[in-house]
Amino acid sequence: MDSNNTIGLHAAWVIPLLSAIAFLIIVISMRLVGFFFSERSKLVMLAPILSITAILTGFILFWLVLLDVLNFGGGSISMNWLTVGLTEIRWGIFVDKVSVTMLGLVTFIALLVQVYSLGYMKGDRHFEWYFAIHSLFAAAMLTLVLADNLLFLYFAWELVGLGSYLLIGFWWEKRSAAEAAKKAFITTRIGDVCLLIGIILLFKATGTFNISTIFHIAESGGIGEVTLNSSILLIFIGAMGKSAQFPFHVWLPDAMEGPTPVSALIHAATMVAAGVYLVARMMPIFQLAPEIMLIVMIIGLITFIFAGTMALVMSDIKKVLAYSTISHLGLMMLCLGAGGVAAAIFHLVVHGIAKALLFLGAGSVMHSISNETNIWKMGGLRHRMPITAVTFFIGAASLAGLPPLAGFFSKDELLLSVLHDGQYVVLAITLFGVFLSALYMARVAIVPFLGSTPKHLAKSHESSLIMWIPLVILAILSAGVGFLILPLSSSYPGWAEFIDPTHHFELEPWLMILSIILALAALILGWSIYLKKSVSAKQVSQFAPYLYKAILNKYYIDDFYQWVIDKCVLAFGRLVALFDRVVINDTAVDGSAISIYLSALKTRVLQTGYLFTYGAAMAIGACGLSILWWVLLD
Amino acid sequence: MIELTHFQVLSGLLFAIGLYGVLARRNLILVLMSIELMLNAVNINLIGYSSFMNASESHRALGHVLIIFVITVAAAELALAIAIILRLYRNKSSINTDDINIMKW
Repeated sequence: MDSNNTIGLHAAWVIPLLSAIAFLIIVISMRLVGFFFSERSKLVMLAPILSITAILTGFILFWLVLLDVLNFGGGSISMNWLTVGLTEIRWGIFVDKVSVTMLGLVTFIALLVQVYSLGYMKGDRHFEWYFAIHSLFAAAMLTLVLADNLLFLYFAWELVGLGSYLLIGFWWEKRSAAEAAKKAFITTRIGDVCLLIGIILLFKATGTFNISTIFHIAESGGIGEVTLNSSILLIFIGAMGKSAQFPFHVWLPDAMEGPTPVSALIHAATMVAAGVYLVARMMPIFQLAPEIMLIVMIIGLITFIFAGTMALVMSDIKKVLAYSTISHLGLMMLCLGAGGVAAAIFHLVVHGIAKALLFLGAGSVMHSISNETNIWKMGGLRHRMPITAVTFFIGAASLAGLPPLAGFFSKDELLLSVLHDGQYVVLAITLFGVFLSALYMARVAIVPFLGSTPKHLAKSHESSLIMWIPLVILAILSAGVGFLILPLSSSYPGWAEFIDPTHHFELEPWLMILSIILALAALILGWSIYLKKSVSAKQVSQFAPYLYKAILNKYYIDDFYQWVIDKCVLAFGRLVALFDRVVINDTAVDGSAISIYLSALKTRVLQTGYLFTYGAAMAIGACGLSILWWVLLD
Repeated sequence: MIELTHFQVLSGLLFAIGLYGVLARRNLILVLMSIELMLNAVNINLIGYSSFMNASESHRALGHVLIIFVITVAAAELALAIAIILRLYRNKSSINTDDINIMKW
């Protein structure tokens, strides 16, 4: 980490800057178009051209940065922004293996999603604004990944949340979309407040926001244990909010109200990964607090299983994918809690690619059957949309954990990390969750694409070129990226050691075989339930009807939150409003005005114009004063 | 024996009667007379104090000197008051106090 002036390092900060500039230009030109051009259609393609150019350049520059990291190990640059007393607040970037991985993931997926959106969002009323927000979001996410100090990271964190809000509520004329955007923002906001408090606690303890400096101070014991534990816990709560862990997961399924490419980008690959990235980045201090690591692991486990059960019963294709995302994020947190940073980041990448593929595939399906999302209303689409079907299957199989696709390798690494941490109970429950994830993947892949086509879908067709090329690219990657985990050559010792030099690549054959058996068993079960119909899903659901109903209603968590909001939050709000009206307005403000009026009303009586009233007043005043004088002087 | 208290009580009583007269009389001349009464009551008070307090050599006749001032001022102020009442009579043709009620906005 010595060289601080290589071209790769400077390329790194240019990448988010390009997207930010694209955002500004698009927004300004959107205003100017109205003034200078009467025909909107002439310039409507300017927005996506700017946005895609920015992100494409970013992707190309990423390779420069990667070269830099491979040769020099990365580095950091920063510049001073504000000095307050003795504290310096800086803008800075920090490039290392984890951040360059995220850089590649974000630029690549953002590029593919933006290209796909050219086809998907064609003809939309707010076409330019869509690409503007995409650029803003890309700039913010890239800054988050590169930030070297916590304050800068927090700025980018908030901006990413804003981008998500704008994109989920993109079709805000629809009430449910506006509500979903609000829900997403408010839920993540709760996490953000905790994150801010954690950051400030660390700042108070160490006097700096810079992450590397904080690590040095913490490792040499410079932070008190209570402060360390509480700030780490708060930072984790922030990550929980953004990464949709239980109990903050409620916003992600509702976020499906946004356009599908948005779901692919934000809620599969990038924004929700920000929480996982934060924990991975702060891992050196997380490791100083083993109780918090345990909490991370437990919350990850709960989220993994809990969302997995919900993905099994939903009938909206996007909701199934959303719950699957929550579930996999739980799995990543679980792995981070077990200390497996390399495995978690690898799964982040693999999951991001595969989930983006699945979402884009779902969007492709929806686009051709006029936005129908209920999988029970689809069927046999592989005849009508072969490319989408094949790519979707590859993505689903990868996430289910079938070798030799990438998902198998990443799941294997995750299970290995949990095993090495010595948590056998957690491992057992995780294996059950692996079975569940394979089962719901089979369900969501089989039902729309295999079987027979219902009559009303006879006219559906494959999507346009611009929409299926990203699908194919993602499918190829999803199949091939897994091999990165193996030590491929003498200079590349395998992914695990690439990220974390203390790790060594190893295999535990029995675990691998067990996970393959589970995945295959789930696939066979799914095939027999949903295709051959030899086992009836209805009968399975009748085993535990109350449990089934609870899962279908999302475990009533949304209802619980709504109750809390109605009974506690809004009631408190009404109390405060009452206080404001009665005490502050009526008594203090209006009251002081009225009291003056009333006193004037009483004293006005003295002004009779009659001379001797005044004389009497003078006499009474004089007597009063003399009595007062007499009393006081005694 | 005549004590200081007698002077004080007499003075207070006369002052109160004068005050009542100023406030409650309907004839302006009688109001003037009441004002004079108040002033003379004060004079009596001062004489009493002057006679009965043991003051040093140079201050022995202080009260007496003061009442000369007060009588002078009373005379001057009476002249002024008569002038005002004459003016008032010219404007309103009445010296009834009930008619003096225009000191409003």
